[in-house]
Amino acid sequence: MDHFILLVWHALLVAVFFAFLWRSDARGRKALFLKTFLIMVVGAFVLGWLMFPFP
Amino acid sequence: MTADKTKRKDAEAKAAADTTPKPVSKLLILVAWLVPGLGHWLLGKRVRAGVFAAIILAAFITGVLLKGELAVPQQNSPLSWFFAFGCLGNGVLYFLRLIWINGLDGLQSSLFPYGLHGGGDPVSAGFFYGKTFLYTAGLMNLLVVLDVHDIARGDKS
Repeated sequence: MDHFILLVWHALLVAVFFAFLWRSDARGRKALFLKTFLIMVVGAFVLGWLMFPFP
Repeated sequence: MTADKTKRKDAEAKAAADTTPKPVSKLLILVAWLVPGLGHWLLGKRVRAGVFAAIILAAFITGVLLKGELAVPQQNSPLSWFFAFGCLGNGVLYFLRLIWINGLDGLQSSLFPYGLHGGGDPVSAGFFYGKTFLYTAGLMNLLVVLDVHDIARGDKS
């Protein structure tokens, strides 16, 4: 089981969900999806690396 | 002059009527909670209904496949009600999963709502990931219910 794939899958579901919940036009949905998806995936990746030196 | 006043009063009355929230059917809210996406479907928001249903179902199934545990109320643990409420957001999916795990006899136990098993396998590598997916699905459906309420009330299109 790849933890990163699960992270991406979770981020994908949540990002699509909020894009449809909070935006009603296609352009707005696309922008919000990309923003939330990237924040979750890249943010988790960066946080993971920042935590790496700590025990 | 009088005609102008009457027109203005009519316009004000119309504006007030437009901003007055519409009454929301409790049955609609109940249905929206029990079946993810059905509330939007009944309000004519077919695309959103399909997307929400697919996402919540996908998250729930992923959680089950990862052997995650559904939160159930536990005796002497008030916080467990908080988690159970989050999972209860899954509506009928929550009850079906609990029946799948405990059987109908478990739901009819004298200890109800305590004594239920939430499933999952704590030894499995996906246990906590599965729980996350199950909780996320429940919380997303609760947000969907609030959205249905806002649309039915006229606060949102």
